[in-house]
Amino acid sequence: MNKTLRIAFSLKNTYRVNSILYSLKQIPLIKKILPQSVYKVMGLKIFANILSVIWEILSVFLGKFLYFIIMITGIGALYKTMPADSVFLHILLFLTTIGSFSNTHMFNPSRDKYYAIFLMRMNARTYTLTSYTYSILKILVGFLPFSIYFGRASGIPLWVCVIIPFFVAGAKMTVAAYSLWDYERKGFCYNENMLGKMLWIVIGILLAAAYGLPAIGIAAPHLVVYVIMVAAVPLGIVSAFKIYSFHEYREIQQQLQAQSMYQMDMAANATRNYSQKSISADTGITSSRKGFEYLNELFIKRHQKVLWKATQRISAVCSFLILGGLLLFYVRPETRKNANNLLMTFLPYFVFIMYAINRGTNFTRVLFMNCDHSLLTYSFYKQPKMILKLFRIRLREIIKVNLVPALIIGCGLALLLYASGGTDNVLNYVVLIVSIVCMSIFFSVHYLTIYYIFQPYNAGTEMKSGTYQIVLSATYIVCFCMMKLRMPTPVFGLLAIVFCIAYSIAACVLVYRYAPKTFRLRT
Amino acid sequence: MEFVMEHISKHFEKKEVLRDVEFVFESGKIYGLLGRNGAGKTTLFNCLNRDIKTDGGAFYLVENGSRREVKAEDIGYVLSTPTVPEFLTGREFLKFFIEINEGSISDVKPIDEYFDYMSIDVEDRDKLLKDYSHGMKNKMQLLINVIAQPNILLLDEPLTSLDVVVAEEMKQLLRALKDGRIIIFSTHIMDLALDLCDEIVLLNHGVLEAVDKTNLDNHEFKEKIIAALREENHE
Repeated sequence: MNKTLRIAFSLKNTYRVNSILYSLKQIPLIKKILPQSVYKVMGLKIFANILSVIWEILSVFLGKFLYFIIMITGIGALYKTMPADSVFLHILLFLTTIGSFSNTHMFNPSRDKYYAIFLMRMNARTYTLTSYTYSILKILVGFLPFSIYFGRASGIPLWVCVIIPFFVAGAKMTVAAYSLWDYERKGFCYNENMLGKMLWIVIGILLAAAYGLPAIGIAAPHLVVYVIMVAAVPLGIVSAFKIYSFHEYREIQQQLQAQSMYQMDMAANATRNYSQKSISADTGITSSRKGFEYLNELFIKRHQKVLWKATQRISAVCSFLILGGLLLFYVRPETRKNANNLLMTFLPYFVFIMYAINRGTNFTRVLFMNCDHSLLTYSFYKQPKMILKLFRIRLREIIKVNLVPALIIGCGLALLLYASGGTDNVLNYVVLIVSIVCMSIFFSVHYLTIYYIFQPYNAGTEMKSGTYQIVLSATYIVCFCMMKLRMPTPVFGLLAIVFCIAYSIAACVLVYRYAPKTFRLRT
Repeated sequence: MEFVMEHISKHFEKKEVLRDVEFVFESGKIYGLLGRNGAGKTTLFNCLNRDIKTDGGAFYLVENGSRREVKAEDIGYVLSTPTVPEFLTGREFLKFFIEINEGSISDVKPIDEYFDYMSIDVEDRDKLLKDYSHGMKNKMQLLINVIAQPNILLLDEPLTSLDVVVAEEMKQLLRALKDGRIIIFSTHIMDLALDLCDEIVLLNHGVLEAVDKTNLDNHEFKEKIIAALREENHE
């Protein structure tokens, strides 16, 4: 077992180190400095190894810390009317129940298991048991400091705090043992990444119970929670025997891996299947247009679902929220004044919202996977005038997809402004609507432009461009920072409009200049 | 017409894939491009198709004694894994292709005539391309590249995964196509190369060289090719 653990570790470490080195090689400037033989340079290897070890240690504690501070005490603090200890125990009980079957470790067909058991032909039972034991130990060690710290802070007795990690581990082991027993009876194995409809409903109910019940003043009685927690410990011990004596781990892993994507060419296949599935089989779809308009119309119509569904949903949610706001003003008129102030200073915030709801990256991904991926292999498609002709058509389409929610939000905000008491300058309404629409157009132009300039995918539909990803991250960071900005709406709105128009023009110039050269399959 | 390559070179980081590619291809012939795994056949095709930039050198066409640049529409490139726009039907793909190339295709025929030419069944013509079999996708890809009548046709391992009947049909087709254009055909299968091609060109150590067949029977010729490929790799 000791040896297995060592091998498992070094295996995991090796591919982690290689992934770190690989990602370093994706960053444009660093790529140039790094030697081609990066995977065998000792210094780099040591550096990546250190990162990998730090990550392993962090993974023991960080997740648990976040879990407690956000999921339990963080949200728990919202229920002001309830005693902190009751809320703490209540949420913990329900979340642990969810985790016991949705995060088992054993039934997660992870990549390291595939490498170890199938590629390296390690003994499935020893390997599973070793890595499972390790994961349970990680739970015990990782939970203990935080269950004591956060538990004591919420007024939980120390002995309960100490039991919490054992309760969590025991619950997981009980479910694992039960699933193994179930496998022996039915020959069908549970996969935590492919939960059935029923289990999702159960998760929904448990989540609602965890966070909903305290809101209406109900929490599980202390005694009940204590009994369950204590009971989980002997149950866990009994389960450990079952887990240890079970012998068909190889069969189980085989079943699990067969359903998962980590097998060598499975990932590519999955993308392919996904993109094939997104094509509508409706034979009634035709087009009476010609040339590129014909291609575009068929593309849009046959991908209606992937391209427009999210837009429709976003539009519905936005309309709903705006109506909710109007209703609030009507029911509680005292909120109007605050809302009015907010509306006059909060426009920068909407940069981030418009960023978040923009469908640009999705649109360009579908464009590539289902259209350009194949057509870019034909030389006729790569002639400059063809590229630009299609760019114009696509620009129109991507703007259309994003414009509907933008119009709803823009008009909605203007409406809210009016309903909350209005403004002395009519121009403010116009600025609100126009600036939101401009932002939407800006993001559409932005995503299509970087797609045409960087064309990040290769023929195997893998993302190959580090620069593209950096531009995406930069976009995110800038939009995120906008949330911190406070500026009067008319000023920011006008600035936004000017910027968006200038950017869009510049972007189109760039595309016209460079896309005929850059819009190629990556190799 | 001649297709001339001069001193083409390409390296990836430190690895020199194409060192000094020099060759003159003549129209009316099918060239079999042989090379060992990783020799750079696909890289060479990608360079010619301008999917990747060459580090140095040039390639151009010589027509009636005057030299001109190779344009995108001069080249048809058929990949080993057929890629077709899967959301279109076979007929729609052809219609789209013919419409946007209206100016450059001489004597446009009715779409069904093209299908007949490729022996694609009537009931398959209005199916989405995603439901086409591998062989049929391959035919579509070749068909598109043929309609445009490019001066240079590059084929990367095109017949390897086709069934015997389709492979034979494709061979016939390529033979019928070779007049007035240059077909370069990369393959690992020696017999196919000998059967189909007029000239055998080796890509080895980053350079192209023709193998002379004069006075050799097929068996001796094969031996010569293998010896050439093997020997140079042990330098």
